[in-house]
Amino acid sequence: MKTRTTILSLLVGTFLLFSMSSAWAAEVRGVTDTEVKIALLVDFSGPGKFAGPPISMGVKTYVDYVNAQGPIHGRKIKLIIEDNGILPNTTLAAAKKVIFKDEIFAIGFNLGSSGSSAIIPLCEENKVVLMPHGANKRFYSPGNKWVFVPYSTQYNMASRAVDYILSQNRKARMGIIYQDDDFGRDGLNGARDAAKFHGTKLVKAAPYKMGTIDMSPQVRMMKEANVDYILCWTYIPQTASILKETKMMGWDVTLIGNNTTAYRLMFPIAKQLAEGYLAVTPFAPWEDVSPKVKDIIRKYSDFPVVDKAPFPAPMFLASWVYFAAMIEGIKNAGRNLTPETLIKGIESINQLKMDGMCPDMSFGPKRHVGYFSSRVLRADTKNMRFHEVAPIADPKAPQD
Amino acid sequence: MSGSYKVSYKEDMAIFQNLWVKVWLIIFIILAVFSPILLNRYQLSILNEMGIATIGALGLNLLIGYTGQLSLGHGAFLAIGAYTSALLTGKLGIPFFLSLPLSGLMASLLGLVVGIPSLRLKGLYLALGTLAFAFIVEYILFHWDLTQGDLGMAVKRIGIGDYVIRSQRQYFYLIMAFATFAVICTKNLDRSKIGRSFKAIRDRDIAAEAMGIPLAKYKVMAFGISAFYGGVAGCLMAHYNRWIVPGSFDISLSIAYIAMIIIGGLGTVLGSVLGAILITGVPHGIVYVVDLLKGDYPALSGFIIDFKLGIFGLIIVLTLLFEPKGLFGVYQRTKVYFKTWPFKY
Repeated sequence: MKTRTTILSLLVGTFLLFSMSSAWAAEVRGVTDTEVKIALLVDFSGPGKFAGPPISMGVKTYVDYVNAQGPIHGRKIKLIIEDNGILPNTTLAAAKKVIFKDEIFAIGFNLGSSGSSAIIPLCEENKVVLMPHGANKRFYSPGNKWVFVPYSTQYNMASRAVDYILSQNRKARMGIIYQDDDFGRDGLNGARDAAKFHGTKLVKAAPYKMGTIDMSPQVRMMKEANVDYILCWTYIPQTASILKETKMMGWDVTLIGNNTTAYRLMFPIAKQLAEGYLAVTPFAPWEDVSPKVKDIIRKYSDFPVVDKAPFPAPMFLASWVYFAAMIEGIKNAGRNLTPETLIKGIESINQLKMDGMCPDMSFGPKRHVGYFSSRVLRADTKNMRFHEVAPIADPKAPQD
Repeated sequence: MSGSYKVSYKEDMAIFQNLWVKVWLIIFIILAVFSPILLNRYQLSILNEMGIATIGALGLNLLIGYTGQLSLGHGAFLAIGAYTSALLTGKLGIPFFLSLPLSGLMASLLGLVVGIPSLRLKGLYLALGTLAFAFIVEYILFHWDLTQGDLGMAVKRIGIGDYVIRSQRQYFYLIMAFATFAVICTKNLDRSKIGRSFKAIRDRDIAAEAMGIPLAKYKVMAFGISAFYGGVAGCLMAHYNRWIVPGSFDISLSIAYIAMIIIGGLGTVLGSVLGAILITGVPHGIVYVVDLLKGDYPALSGFIIDFKLGIFGLIIVLTLLFEPKGLFGVYQRTKVYFKTWPFKY
């Protein structure tokens, strides 16, 4: 009886405390009169750790450059860099840490799409604007008040790839090899929808599980389907494997891939096999990036080999673009910087000039994606670089 | 002479065995009540994670530590609980306090199914069977339209009528209440016929059977109960994080839970709690150290980040090497030390 009474009292006590508890006092977290704290969540310890250094360096360079131009409405940007380990659980822990402990104002870049998905409710609850990288169409369609995507998604790029193929050969037989996750499936959906829009279809789709390197079964499936073009929604190692398999089969087929393969790391891995490989990306090849941007990088970055391979330009520049959108939003928000004014500030970005580095960015209340467009590059193994073969353009199929 | 003498079965079976246990319980309650006032939101969020992990670890310890059935599929049971509750509350509008036991029951039902092969399989073979189950669950979650693939799905807030839980403080009280309840249930189970049967099977299943313990019943039951705890932990995790992705419940989660019970102490309730606290706390501890060193020693903090997983592994290896009985062993030795002080034994 005594034990029962004790347990009952404890339960009642807990319930009373529980009902009395209230939320913490609200204020504009991460904003002072002289400073705005913006977080960069990137992988230094997980499966995407190769991306950590160039991305963080890109953002640091850009933030140093912005701060050197003078404060924005009296405030300097303070960058908080945190390792997110790219996986959903580790990303959630990193986001909690920057929001609750470091008290940041917004997350200017988060690497990894499933991790980004996992932190959306946390961002909503705490009024944190989030810019996810590795973005999927779902981030802007149907979208979320707090989420902005300053980059073409895999859906957009795959649509553009299909447009390009059909512009070269109206009757082309297309197949796709894709990674069986949100990255690959977003590409598959984009390619499928674009093919349907053009009144045709993908004749074969061959998935593979993340981490698979041997692409021979998938390539054989493509060969059996007798395709003229293989869309590769794959990363560099898998793309190199596909190139190797087609070579071994003596099969002259054109490969067209995504932005993750459109940089110089392709050449040391795929070597001569990369010749003629096509890749869709919103970014200009590093050699074509404007001198103004390169000067800024030389001046504000401590990265020593800006002009030499394997400078990981796309990742460096991608992070730069994210913060360009965030900082433009802060500028547009004015002195009264709150999460709501930041949203309005980003939504009011119209044709933000990117110096030819990537498409100019525009957002709107019903459009939380910076651009849909991308260009097509062709690999030149002799000079170890990519050349543009089709300019920046929006995909023809609807992207919303 | 010191020590406690139990002169009746009732005393021997008591949950709170002596005055010290009761004192510790009071200290725990006081800390639990005042923690939200003293701690910030980040620290509370860590405690909340620990609370959820405690429930899951208790379940796995019942299966591995108490019954001796190896499982690499505990993460899958958390996933089943999480997705069941997300779908019940989100798609069918069932209130949380109904979906919580239902998600435990769903996990338990599948746990019973997984438990059937345990009648034929042992050790590593059983571990592989449970691993296969985990892969099947992961594959379904990735590919089933209802679960929305690897970008996951939103989960509703916990609400009781019009009252909705929003802050870390509110979650803290709720999760701690459930964790405490789970601890009491496990303690009760431990001292019951079921608990004794589990331990008999663990120590020697043939002998247990010879004593009249039906192996099939208790082995399958162990899987069912363990999965129920996992399902409840998964449900709480889903509603706490408010978004679930299949990647959160992969093999690494199952391994983390195994690490919790091994480091904490196999076959003990306190071990499950201590293990859950340590394994959940270490990554956060590393973050604190990195933050501390970031300003003055950026290279050192970079080194720690680079070798974060290695450091985590090292802590586990050192614990196993120097304290094979886990944290529960440390607790026992400390207790004996103070009890026998100033004598060594």
